[in-house]
Amino acid sequence: MMNLIKQAAFDLHNDSITQWKQQNQPVIGYTCSQVPVELFYAGGILPVRLRGVGVQGLDIADAYYGPFICSFPKAILQSMAEKKLTHLDGAVIADGCDSMRRLDECWRRASDDYSHMNLPFFHYMNIPRKVSDHAKEWFIYETQKLQTALNDHFNISITLESIQKAIQTYNSSRKLIKKIESLRKTNPPKISGSDAFCVSLAAESMAPETFQKQATDFLEHISNRSTEIPDGPRIMISGSAYDDIHLIQTIESAGANVVGENVCFGPSHQMNTVSEIQPPLEALMTHYLLECPCPRMFGRFDHRLTLIKEKIQNVRARGVVLQNIRFCDLHASENGLLEKELEKEGIPCIRLEREYGSQTDTGRLRMRIDAFLERIS
Amino acid sequence: MRPEIQEYNFDWMLHKSMHIAFDSLKGSKKEYKYMLNYMPYFKGLMDLLGKYDEPGILFVEMVKDAVDEIVFAHDQGKKICMTTFCLSPIVLLAMDVVPVVMEPLTVLPTILWKRGTYDFMNYCFEVGLSETSCSSQRGALGAYLAGLCEPIDFVVFDSGGVCDTNANVFAFSSSFMNKPLFQLDYPASFLDKKTQEYQRKDFRELILFLESQTGKKLDLDQLRKGLEETHKQDLIISQIDELQMLKPNPLPPIFNLFMYAGRFLATSKPGYTKMLESMLKTVRNNADQGKSGLQSGKEKCRALFCYIDHYSSDARMWNFLDDHGIAHLGSILSRFFPDHAPYLQDDDINSGYHIKLDTLDDMIDSLAEINARSPMVKSIRGPYDTPYMWLEDALAFARLYQADCIVYSGTPGCRNTWGMVKPFARDTEKHGFPTHIMYSDAFDERVESFETTSLRLAEFFRVRQLI
Repeated sequence: MMNLIKQAAFDLHNDSITQWKQQNQPVIGYTCSQVPVELFYAGGILPVRLRGVGVQGLDIADAYYGPFICSFPKAILQSMAEKKLTHLDGAVIADGCDSMRRLDECWRRASDDYSHMNLPFFHYMNIPRKVSDHAKEWFIYETQKLQTALNDHFNISITLESIQKAIQTYNSSRKLIKKIESLRKTNPPKISGSDAFCVSLAAESMAPETFQKQATDFLEHISNRSTEIPDGPRIMISGSAYDDIHLIQTIESAGANVVGENVCFGPSHQMNTVSEIQPPLEALMTHYLLECPCPRMFGRFDHRLTLIKEKIQNVRARGVVLQNIRFCDLHASENGLLEKELEKEGIPCIRLEREYGSQTDTGRLRMRIDAFLERIS
Repeated sequence: MRPEIQEYNFDWMLHKSMHIAFDSLKGSKKEYKYMLNYMPYFKGLMDLLGKYDEPGILFVEMVKDAVDEIVFAHDQGKKICMTTFCLSPIVLLAMDVVPVVMEPLTVLPTILWKRGTYDFMNYCFEVGLSETSCSSQRGALGAYLAGLCEPIDFVVFDSGGVCDTNANVFAFSSSFMNKPLFQLDYPASFLDKKTQEYQRKDFRELILFLESQTGKKLDLDQLRKGLEETHKQDLIISQIDELQMLKPNPLPPIFNLFMYAGRFLATSKPGYTKMLESMLKTVRNNADQGKSGLQSGKEKCRALFCYIDHYSSDARMWNFLDDHGIAHLGSILSRFFPDHAPYLQDDDINSGYHIKLDTLDDMIDSLAEINARSPMVKSIRGPYDTPYMWLEDALAFARLYQADCIVYSGTPGCRNTWGMVKPFARDTEKHGFPTHIMYSDAFDERVESFETTSLRLAEFFRVRQLI
């Protein structure tokens, strides 16, 4: 039942993408959860979130990036150099953070050495780090710039009507994710954290119609299934970009249940629907700029603290794993503040620093998680 | 933090250090030489300042006054604003707000105190800030987070869109200390109308924020006075900049530090003007005599520092340059882009700022334009190889100032430049400039000792046959 979904969650090139390409329709990779994906879909382009799952080393990426850089964008660059993303017809690099925004230059320079990296469409998207009136205008301006660039390059016509339709399509996916997430609220949950997170990951790597069919079937299957998940401490994961289920599996294999995530893949960005009432570009701006829970939006810690507290309450988490990729200063520092605030309110936290990618640091992480679970059990 | 470190306030210790340094330099030669015996750890620095007589003394006086302002701000009924080096302090000073600029306040003890700011850097980590954050702020910041300074009233930074690690430090501090925060945010683009409009609107919001924090309206006369003084300072800097193009370069290496430290701490203040005038006199004298600004008088190589300098204890970097006959052609910190700057050629003169004083609106626009060209804000906000950004600037400076090589010095916390310094260096090499990437931390010798840093630098100069 989960095959296609798991494939999309784990493989950079999955069957859904192959099917899409067989219809001669383009695929574009994008780097950040603040890029409005509806825009691509409105023009018949499949947006897939750029990821680096499965890379075994970073030797090529290290030739372009310096040593003090987060391993997530490095893994994307490495995947591209290793021909794991050959399905891409273009890429949009957003300035989500400093490490990620420099993927723009490193990718372009690497294209000089690895010709297959030279994509026909390459766009840099600049997103404000504040929410003032002029920042809102700027976000809409950048969205329109992207819209024009896509129209010109792919000879398509992205209209307000087609964006509106794309919003509705992606909202359908979001509603399904919300339903699946609700299965984690029971005690014990009706779905494991790793399965639930797989579904969310797949949503960013599949055509929405295919995803919706798969997710609906999965929901049906799981509602008819009797509970198989053993009881255990309820844990939430928060922090840096996280797109493999390894950490969740490590926590769950230690006897806990991961009941929610607050990271920039998965439910935290996908459960809130985009307004279907507002004018489409304004609706995208509200969703992707104003509601963004990433610490790159400076001066909005209180807003994010409120969100995370609500979420902890909602999923009834007994402890929070605050993780960050090494050199991700935005999340590492935010985790320092969150730990202080949450512990003050009696919510146990553990801060973990890790590298991007599965199978790294397993022993060390497991030992720290065991110790944390002992503390809260 | 160790209890003994908490015995005295950080800003008070700095205030005392600066007064002692100033009094020592103002004394007779005999007194000064006698005093050096009691300064085992920063004799080199004192000597470096002392050997330039008037400009050195005026530099110390300017910094001393800036630190005094911080220590006595609240006694004088002034508000204190925590801020960053790339925010031009003109608007703060015009509103009688005392800027506490994190980076120069990290540099001072780093070059002046035996243990640098290690304890304060560590303290930042103790309270939750990532240890991979930029050390340029963490040195002074630790003391502020520990409450070992005159308390901050509010926080302003302008590195949103420019440097995440910088911006993040100020956002963290505001939340940690529970102080109001304002950020100027910059688009990746530079000169187009839309960008300028964004910057102007953002700057007007900053003024509203400052008015709400101080309870005062922006004083038109004080602002005009500040901008007039800034214009005067800019003209002197442009003359010094032009003289640096001469071969040999008549500017002593340490003068670059004097120039940008004043810009960050005392722009628009008469003390800075006085120091610049004195520097210009020295540089002009050297130029008239066809003399290099190096102590040896022999220029073997001309190095452009494409990012920042290295602030090892006892200011050994500048002595290293002096000893090896390497002229310092400035760094990203020492160029501010007024429209009369000699490095702005006829075809890009409009990329410089022009100070207009006719109306309040004109003056606010001028402030926004000055700030948009602050070090880092101008040149690393967008992709490094796009127009007006880092590569274009570095290559233009390297050509105009006849550089023999380019040196990158930064901190491991600089995600922004470490994200692309390798391709950048590849490009500068392609253009014929041997380029050295320093892997040390400009503010923290625990990352790499200065002995290692200087060995690697010396190796670069030797292997590339530059000296």
